[in-house]
Amino acid sequence: PPETHAVARARTRSGPAPVTDVAKLCVCDLLVAECDVNCCCDPDCSAADFSLFTTCSVPLVTGDNRLCSQKAAIYSLDVEANPPERIFKLIDQVNPSVFCIHATNYKQALFFSSPEMPTPENFDQLLEQFGSAAFSAEPDSWNMNTDAQSPSDANETYRYEYGVPIQTVDAFLRLPSPVVSSWCSDANPAAFLVNQATKCIRSVSVEECGNVQAVSMLSYINSSILAVNITVQSVVVQSLNGMRTLLNGSDVLRLPMILDELCINIVLGVSYHITYTDTGEIIEAAASFVLGAINKEALSILQNFEISFTQVNTKPVPLSGNPGYVVGLPIRAGFRPQGYPFPNTNKYGQLTILQSTSIQDCLEVQGARTPILFGYNMISGCKLRITAAMKCQPLTQTLLDLLKGQSFPEYVASFGNSQAQDVLDWVPITHVHTSEQRIYNTFQSSCQIPVSLEIEVKWTKYGSLVNPQARIVNVTATTTTATLKQLPSGRERTIPITSSVVFTDVSSPAEPGYKAWPTINAKLPFDFFFPFI
Amino acid sequence: NNSYQLSSVPLQILFYVNGIYYIFYFLATLGMIVYKSEVFSYPDDFLAPDLASLFIMAVLEVLRLYLGSKGNLTEEEAPLGLSLVLTVGSVILSVYFLVWQTYVLKADVIINAVLLFIYGLESALKVVAIAAFVS
Repeated sequence: PPETHAVARARTRSGPAPVTDVAKLCVCDLLVAECDVNCCCDPDCSAADFSLFTTCSVPLVTGDNRLCSQKAAIYSLDVEANPPERIFKLIDQVNPSVFCIHATNYKQALFFSSPEMPTPENFDQLLEQFGSAAFSAEPDSWNMNTDAQSPSDANETYRYEYGVPIQTVDAFLRLPSPVVSSWCSDANPAAFLVNQATKCIRSVSVEECGNVQAVSMLSYINSSILAVNITVQSVVVQSLNGMRTLLNGSDVLRLPMILDELCINIVLGVSYHITYTDTGEIIEAAASFVLGAINKEALSILQNFEISFTQVNTKPVPLSGNPGYVVGLPIRAGFRPQGYPFPNTNKYGQLTILQSTSIQDCLEVQGARTPILFGYNMISGCKLRITAAMKCQPLTQTLLDLLKGQSFPEYVASFGNSQAQDVLDWVPITHVHTSEQRIYNTFQSSCQIPVSLEIEVKWTKYGSLVNPQARIVNVTATTTTATLKQLPSGRERTIPITSSVVFTDVSSPAEPGYKAWPTINAKLPFDFFFPFI
Repeated sequence: NNSYQLSSVPLQILFYVNGIYYIFYFLATLGMIVYKSEVFSYPDDFLAPDLASLFIMAVLEVLRLYLGSKGNLTEEEAPLGLSLVLTVGSVILSVYFLVWQTYVLKADVIINAVLLFIYGLESALKVVAIAAFVS
């Protein structure tokens, strides 16, 4: 009923009234319902207790002594009487000063103000006023500054840095991911330039097909990334038996609906592709969907989410590190054509080495190559069977193709994220030819065939001591040749052909830097010799 | 010869004394307001009306004394009558400082009582002077 509610509200609004009657005020009455020793004002003490006291611990109780005239209670013990008794006197104490307060028209002047009791109505306001570590008497002036800043930021183009969550109109772009268990949690924000791929389980059933937001296409393209709308790039429909079909028109929004006891158009996977500029602004966002269907028995589905970032006007090239090379990722390499500037490298842009297979004959090997991974020294090879009928020149060419591959690159990226347009970030491959025979052979006309290719990659640690980045400084490809001696017909010889990669750390040791010693700044003050200068 | 001079000499003396006393009163009240704002809790909502009243009272006082003195010396009843009307305003303000101020100290009571006594005496003498001028 409203009356009791109002009464209850009135009751809770103020605390108990303060005690101001000096006759009833007793500071030394600490024990409840018991007589405190030597406390003459204690109402729990009887005359018999008073006769045992020696002094009065509180002889005078007054109000504010700045008032011109006020009541005062004086407690004393009359030790002359037998038994000693307590004397209580209530007098008017007069302040003789001419500046004593005669009257006030301001109620809170002489009392501490009782604090406002929190109620459901004023709780938010009280929390805002008193909820921080310090608060002033004028809380209203602080509120205006914080409100003025937030709307102006939203209009500026927001520049992202690596790892910053991508903002949308209301919150952040979310990439559902498993947190503690495999169930999807929607609280994972997508971070700029962090390519993520997550998989999690979502519980959904045919009955609540249309109600669950997380399986509807709309909830993933609904949020716009700060003035950039999320467009639908492609939609793939997966049937119950797993067959996927790419739909032709991808601008139709397909919402979950029940059809023939199945719930169709359920989002099984979303793949976001964000395009950004080199100043850190997001200019485009596209999402590709995989839609599926569930039947009555299904209680949960597995959802895949992915986000990838591409710089505008570039083809996406997988990075091998950011910025330094990461051990285990392939070394990026490429070509430089005649003209400048440096265009994009070839599609994979990797430095490759001959891969040893079970087929050990070099001439039978189909040219399988494996990319060189940073930090992993590799050696591979095959066996070459030389017969008498082999001619020198074609054999040399075949072996060179085998060792170096079809298109051996000319430049290697010094950082894992070197862009093709930054010419200085690419290191040229130095080619060295050596011969197996140390002794200078006057018969130069004899055939020299390459028997080994050794690639030495020199890298250094670059950057700060706590987070050093690997940087390639030199790549040398040493081709060793050997003389092919002419064999008598019918005889065969087998020579091993090897190729290897070696990584050498050539980082110079870090030099410590010490802070400068503090200097004593001993100078006379400016006007030390005042009258004379 | 008094019959040719209608201006009231006691009134003029009283104006002179009033002027000097009011200067003291103004400085004393201002000083006490400053003292109260330092020693007691004196929020801005209560300080503003007190200070405003004091300055209005000063303006009124100057006007009142000028008009009264001029009327008395030129033996005209109009400025003297206007001065009497302004005295009513000054009395109200003085009662404000005596009773309705935020903090009324004992010193406030004393100086306001003296001021009210002077106003009362002045008003009586003004009425007599106006009666003398009119007739």
